[in-house]
Order: sequence, then C-alpha cells, then structure tokens
Amino acid sequence: MPDTHFYRYDAYDRALVGERIAQFRDQVRRRIAGELTEEQFKPLRLTNGLYLQLHAYMLRIAIPYGTISARQLRKLAEIARKYDRGYGHFTTRQNLQLNWIRLEDAPDALAMLAEVDMHAMQTSGNVIRNVTADHFAGAAVDEIEDPRIWCEIVRQWSTLHPEFSFLPRKFKIAITGSPNDRVAVRVHDVGLRLWRNGQGEVGFEVIVGGGLGRTPLIGKTLREFLPKDELLAYLEATLRVYNRYGRRDNLYKARIKILVHEIGVEKMREEVEAEYAATRNSALKLAPETIEGIARQFAPPPLRAKRTRVPEVEALKLENRAFALWLKSNVAPHRVAGHAIVTASLKPAGAPPGDASAAQMEGVADIADAYSQGELRVSHEQNLVFPHVAIESLPAVWRALDALGFAEANVGKITDIIACPGLDYCALANARSIPVAQSISTHFASLARQHDIGDLKIKISGCINACGHHHVGHIGILGVDRNGVELYQISLGGDVDFGNTALGSILGPAVEADKVVEAVDALVATYLEARIDGERFVDTYRRLGAQPFKESVYGNS
Amino acid sequence: MAKNLSGDLLVASANRLVDGLVVYLDDAGQWTPRLDRAALARDKGEGAFLLERARAEAFTVVDPFLVAVSEDEDGTIEPLSLREKIRAAGLTFDAIAAEAVRYA
Repeated sequence: MPDTHFYRYDAYDRALVGERIAQFRDQVRRRIAGELTEEQFKPLRLTNGLYLQLHAYMLRIAIPYGTISARQLRKLAEIARKYDRGYGHFTTRQNLQLNWIRLEDAPDALAMLAEVDMHAMQTSGNVIRNVTADHFAGAAVDEIEDPRIWCEIVRQWSTLHPEFSFLPRKFKIAITGSPNDRVAVRVHDVGLRLWRNGQGEVGFEVIVGGGLGRTPLIGKTLREFLPKDELLAYLEATLRVYNRYGRRDNLYKARIKILVHEIGVEKMREEVEAEYAATRNSALKLAPETIEGIARQFAPPPLRAKRTRVPEVEALKLENRAFALWLKSNVAPHRVAGHAIVTASLKPAGAPPGDASAAQMEGVADIADAYSQGELRVSHEQNLVFPHVAIESLPAVWRALDALGFAEANVGKITDIIACPGLDYCALANARSIPVAQSISTHFASLARQHDIGDLKIKISGCINACGHHHVGHIGILGVDRNGVELYQISLGGDVDFGNTALGSILGPAVEADKVVEAVDALVATYLEARIDGERFVDTYRRLGAQPFKESVYGNS
Repeated sequence: MAKNLSGDLLVASANRLVDGLVVYLDDAGQWTPRLDRAALARDKGEGAFLLERARAEAFTVVDPFLVAVSEDEDGTIEPLSLREKIRAAGLTFDAIAAEAVRYA
C-alpha cells in the first residue's frame, strides 16, 4: 500500500539524503583507513545519528513527527535484522534506536533507510532535532488542525539550516493541534499549540524555554497568538536570538531555557519581536499555496462513517475481560464515526519498555496494512498507534496484537512506563533504568489491579539528563550513583497535561534498587486508601500533599 | 591472598573502531574482547605507562582509557564500577526476549 496520507519525498529531498549518505560513506571509509581522527570524525557521525555507546554504535533514526507507514516499518525491521541484533527501541522523541550497528555497516543501513524516504540526520548534535507531534494527529476527535502539516514545514526549514547548524545546544520543538496535550508541549525548547481565538482564527501559542534535564523548567508563553503563515519567520527570529545570546561557555547552561530564565520572558519577547519585525515579511512568510501544498499531502484517508455499535465487539466485550479492558485503555475515539484509534502497547509485563523485535515490527506493519490504511504513529510514550481502525475490526486487531505480545491493556496505567535505555546501553547514564521498569511492570502485571489503580504515569531516567522524563512523571524515578551504588530518587506530582504541567517534587532520600518496587507499592497503597471518587493518583497527591506518601515510604521518623 | 579491591589495579580498555565492541589491551599490545587476557597494571605508574601504550596502539580503537579492576585469589579480574562491569559482561537483562515472539 502506498504512503498516501502524509508527506512524500520529492526529488529535492531524495537528492539531499542521497548526497548525505555518499558523503558519510566516504567519511566512514576515511575514518577506518586512519585518514580522519576520532576528534575529526565524531561530529560527522553524530550529525548522521550515529553514537558510540557502552557496547556498540547506536543509530538513531528519525521518524518525523512520529508518523510512519507500514512499508517504512518493515524496512526498519529489515535493517534491524540485517545490521543489528533483530530489535529496536522506540524513544521519547518518536525515533527508533538500533543499539548494535557496526560502523562499517552504517552507510549501507542509511542507504536502506533512504529507499523508504527516511534518514538519521539531525537526530543528534546542536541542531533542531526531530519535531514531535501528537501521536493521534490526523485522527483525534479533539483536534483543531493536523499539527503534522506544520511539523513538515518546520522540518523542511530546519533541515541543514546553515544558520542553525551550530546552535549553543540541541533544540527540541513539539507541536500539538489539540487542547489535550499529548506531546508535553510545555517542556520543550519551543512548544507550539494550535488554538482558535475569539475571531475564529487558528494560530499558534508559542511557548519557549521549557525543558527537563539538569535544570527542569516549564516553558513560558512568548506569543499568545501567532498567525500560522508567520510561523517560520517567528521561529527564525527566536532561534536567531538564542543563537546570539545562548551561552556557549558552559554545556549545562547552554539550552534556551537557561537564557529565558536568566533574562526573563519579557526581555526574550522584546528581543524576538525586534528581530521578527525585521524579518516578518521576508521570504519566510508562508504563501497560501505553500501551506496548501503541504496540507494536501496530509489529506485524511477516505474513511466512510460506519456503525459504532458492532454486535461482535459488544459480544466479545462481555465474554472476554482482557478485550474489555483493552477497549477501555488502548482504544480512543476517532473523528470519523465507526472508527477508533488503537494503541499497541510496547510494554508487555516484564519487557524492556519501547522495544520491538524485527518480527514484531513486521507483524505491526501487517496489521497497519490490513486495518489502519497502512499508517502508524510512534508515541512519545514509546508505544505504536494505529490511527484509523474501523470499530468492526477491533476484535481482529486485538487478536493480532495479542499474538505479537502487544495487546497489553495498560496504556496510561502503572506499567505503561517511560524508561530511557539507562546504564545498560548509555554512556551518559549513572544507573540502570530498564531493569527497574521491568521489576515494577512484573510486580503490577495484574490488569485488573492496574485498571483499579487507574491512570498513573511512571517515568524513569538513568541520569539527570532526564531522557526518561522523570520530572513530569506522576511518579518520577531518577537513578543516581552514590559511591558506586545505584540509588533511585523518587519524585511525585509531575504532569504534562495542558494547564496542569508540573514538575515533580523529590519525596525523600534515594532508595536502593531492590527497594524501588516496595516504595512504589507503598505509594500506590496510600493513594488507594485515600482517593475519593474519580481521583487519579496525581489528583490525590495534589489534594493531600507529600506527607502521607512520604510516611508510607520512609515511616514516621 | 585476599581479593584486591584497592583500585590500584588497572587495565586499558576502548571500543573497537569498526563495530564499537568493548576491548582490552593485552600484554602483546593487541586489543582483545577478553578481559581475562588484559594486561594488568599494578600501580599508578604502571597504569600511566599502560595508557600510553594503549594510545600508541589506538589505530583500530576509539579513545582508550584505564579501568580500575579487582583481582581475586585465583587471579580473576573484574571491574570495580558497575558501568565497567556492564561493559565487560553485557546487558543485565534479556534484550531479545521479544524476538521469541514469532509472527507468521
């Protein structure tokens, strides 16, 4: 099935990617031949998404705004099988990481990627990274406009942008077209939220200076309402101010959030608006035909309204508890009657979060072809999404996912854990993340119990860089190294829901690895005892404060 | 002899250039994936010399560095830090359990 409902490369895109691979192939050859030193080569491999981790090279492949076709996913599986160890890891930036790539194979892997219009550019380095979007984009009931149109416009503008190829630090942009934030828009360098003003016009709220990592900060509104056709000019002005004033003397103070924090959002706004005044009517002002041309490529698939109550679905719901729970947690409403959005959980009990084998990727691609217009999304919560499934097909999709091990009815529940790769893979990590996630996932495996507990987001990072987003977990877990011992710091109350975005507060002293599950269990028990009707874990925490939770973990002393 | 945990014992390690594999410098100046064949420096002076040798042999590896190890009574050496234990022994969980799921 062709990729018909999202952006397709044109000749320019293909030539650019092809040239880049040819350059990289030569750079790899020269490195292996000893003509380039590691110091010379490192920035070249990083700009092609190739990291050197603890045990091997890791290739980070861009999945633009998390949208991928079945054909592309099959190619990722083929690359994983041919050049890696037969599996990959979906990340919080909606990318895929292959953890065992050989340097000498990397150019061939990139050439295979290019066969399906994919690449690994700008998945590393101090550049504008892969732009993330709502994983329900193009299908969500609550969507004002498809954010991927704007992601693609930003992608084209930012790819190899000469002025922004050496920013003070990496730069992450997220775009949502819905009032329900599914992209964590306030914890990005720039977050863009499409909304409709009092005059009925749709534009962007521009949020700047959010981020996690060593210094977590919630972004501030730079512009309440930006007309859509001015997006690139305004972004260019913002990046130009950051490029000019962002610190380059201290790695830990180089992100735009530090600049905004230090000079204040008012001064930042003044600087950006001054820059913007000089450029707003430049070539960056988007012509209607440019926007329409991109938008046409994201035209929704031709779904016909169908019946919403399907006897087979209703019957299976009554006879099979697992299916009934899956409908509740993994199936979301679709804008077209008789259809649904299905999330395949990449978090089966006890498994590394976000990992999929080549066989599983191929299985998911088959399901997408059969039941979801050949389309998929990667969520920042490390799951895969089928955006367009007819309700009458839900039993078949559920059975097919069950055969793959991806039908766990746990989306949004305590075992739907975000975890970074941690010390098992990552050269920056201080502690392991995946084994901690596995322990929690195994302990809380009972689906009935998970659904009784309700929505609860656990996020785990193996170091202060916070790739596992621990600052915004309802329960955040940060691995630290104290004199060679892995300890885990627990924080509570983080959230990324729009209007409620909050950073978690540290509960108390870090606990040993084998005490993490016990601590989470105590926190959950405290919540279950204290909750009042309809309260999620985080709501009870907000109402009661930290004290009862603290006592449950550390006692009264 | 009790297990030597002083932190004075050192081996030289790096990642192999072509595939990133973890390797150690042996007594013959070759890079080997086997920690038990690594050349052992017994004090800081020997360590500095070992690192110098490793850097001189770095054509096929990336960024050599010293790893503190312990030595058992039977001569078995093991890295002291968890990071280096993981580098030496591999992942601490079964990464390809998922691969066991076959899809026809």
